[in-house]
Amino acid sequence: MATVEIENITKSFGTQRAVDGVSFEVEKGEIFGLLGPNGAGKTTTIRILLDIFKPDSGRVAILGGPMTEAKKDYIGYLPEERGLYQDITLDRCLTYLASLKGLAPAEAHRRINAYLEQFDLASSRNKKLKELSKGMQQKAQLIVTLVHEPDLVIIDEPFSALDPVNTQMVKDLLREQRSRGVTIVMCTHQMHQVEELCDRLVLINQGKTVLYGRLEDIQRQYSGKDILVKADRDLQTLAGIARVQPHNGSQRLTLAAGTSPQDILRSLVNLNVAVEQFEIAVPTLDEIFIQVVQGKQGSDNG
Amino acid sequence: MDKFWKVLTYEYKRHVLRKRFIFAILSVPFFVAVILAVSIIAAIAQTNTSPIGYVDQSGMLARPVTPRSSDDFFSRPVEIRAYPDEDSARAALNAKQIQAYYVLPQNYLQTGNGRLVSYKEPDNGTQRQFTEFLRANLLAGQPASVVNRISAGNNLVIQSADGSRQMSSEDWFNILIPIFAGILFLTVIFTSGGYLMGAVVEEKENRTMEIIITSVSPDQLMAAKILGNLSVGLTQMAIWVIFLSLAYVIGRSIFPWMERISIGGDFILLMVLALLPAFVMVAGLMATIGAMVTETREAQQLSGLFTLPIVIPYWFTYPIMTNPNGPLALGLSYFPLTAPVTLTLRAAFTQIPILQMGLNIGLLFLCAAGAVWLAARTFRLGMLSYGKRLTWRQVFARGI
Repeated sequence: MATVEIENITKSFGTQRAVDGVSFEVEKGEIFGLLGPNGAGKTTTIRILLDIFKPDSGRVAILGGPMTEAKKDYIGYLPEERGLYQDITLDRCLTYLASLKGLAPAEAHRRINAYLEQFDLASSRNKKLKELSKGMQQKAQLIVTLVHEPDLVIIDEPFSALDPVNTQMVKDLLREQRSRGVTIVMCTHQMHQVEELCDRLVLINQGKTVLYGRLEDIQRQYSGKDILVKADRDLQTLAGIARVQPHNGSQRLTLAAGTSPQDILRSLVNLNVAVEQFEIAVPTLDEIFIQVVQGKQGSDNG
Repeated sequence: MDKFWKVLTYEYKRHVLRKRFIFAILSVPFFVAVILAVSIIAAIAQTNTSPIGYVDQSGMLARPVTPRSSDDFFSRPVEIRAYPDEDSARAALNAKQIQAYYVLPQNYLQTGNGRLVSYKEPDNGTQRQFTEFLRANLLAGQPASVVNRISAGNNLVIQSADGSRQMSSEDWFNILIPIFAGILFLTVIFTSGGYLMGAVVEEKENRTMEIIITSVSPDQLMAAKILGNLSVGLTQMAIWVIFLSLAYVIGRSIFPWMERISIGGDFILLMVLALLPAFVMVAGLMATIGAMVTETREAQQLSGLFTLPIVIPYWFTYPIMTNPNGPLALGLSYFPLTAPVTLTLRAAFTQIPILQMGLNIGLLFLCAAGAVWLAARTFRLGMLSYGKRLTWRQVFARGI
């Protein structure tokens, strides 16, 4: 049974349709990417998922059924709009927010201590939030999201305001959570992070689902016209090639219509070319994202 | 329910345990005490205790008797000296041995007229002491009961036709109690309502709202916030009432008239029944405003929309006093925002019919529940629009 099931949800605010027939499922123990350009409807989808808004139509099931007050204790949420109480100490803020997730004071204290040590915030525990840097506040917010050991974590842009060291730490933390069986829904614009962490993803644009599935499947779906070859000579004159571009010490060959990678490989062997690298060029998620979003806008304009 | 208490406790502690709150709560009684002390010291310091003299040409004071000392705290005993003639009294006045002298002419007992000679008129306390001296001597030889009765003077009791209300010249100040109680309560309502509004705007400004709402339901959150801040207000009021009670206990031994202060049980019941829902209603409205806007300053400006109607009945104190069951008083009693103050004002001057009071209070309870509902709804809606102000139309629109 999927941890999250969203089926054909719609939501309008006035005349504006923010979400229009979005469907996806998130399996237990996976890191799932929820992607989309600004204003695509990601945040509204998350808010519907968390029962902050009711959908106009469609069905949402979370942790095996509709959202209940009790289920809130099993969900960790890091919203895009970050914020913590600025005028109280870090320790008090974390303890209060942990208590709202059903943690007993002693247990909350123990876990908060451990996280403060792990996140290098122990010396700042008695400082007011407003005295902490943006990065430190971001780490504090991550503690709030994870301290009650949720079954489902929903995080929006988890790496913003973090330096490379802390970014790596958060990545390790997310992987560790996944290995413990925690389901993670991650919203981000940082496509390389998605490529690195996510098992599956959904791309929403203008309120609609435009891509959905396993990361490799999607990349394969958008590859096929280009191959990367590292050879001992220039391949401009090779038959069946529409275009050749340099690519990190290799050559990126765009195949002409009717030519397959096998045709090219055969030609290289026949020409006795020394080949060090031959691979299907997999498009980056950035490229797919731009291609899909711009393609959609182009078709809308056209 | 557990989370409800956690939010309530947090809201309560975050204000009550702050130095700012403790300072604010203690500063009011402290300043009142200082002002009272300064007034008392100034009154005592300004009292001239130099002797006063008299010249008795009527012979009434041939063998003067001294009255018992006054129980007035401000009245310090002044020596009263007899002079055989006006020349010697004048000489003593010029020599500043006395501050003034009275001349009682030969026909004083027939006319009751006397003359006061001074460079500066003696204060009321000094003049009253001489009047008491005269009264004691005029009544010398009369039975004690007659002396006491005449000294006590008149006490005219005014009673309503149905016998439900009465007032006399000795306890007139009791009608001021509902007025001051109302003002005290309003102060508390506005203070803690302001705290609540600030707390909601703060959660919107610092973006904590979305995290909280994924832990607690909006209704639970709003109800806990409202009751948490209500408790702050009640703490403030309780501390002030304790200070007032202490002042009463201390003051009673200094000012005997304070013995006659009394607050009826029915009035306390009315205060509780009318002002508690009023408090929740105002808090709900304050929270609604807090959830609608994005800045504290804007919230304060908007809150004037309902803080103003609440105090409006005070502008009509005179018509309500003179006609506590008239159309104006009744109309203001049925309008939820003006009802709390109007009811307490009317209670000072009339017996409000039970059915009417029940209707007024019932309406207040309904409005209080409505205000909490509206606050929760606006809170939920407010999350839609960070940095943007909600409109009333959005608040009341369907489909959220």
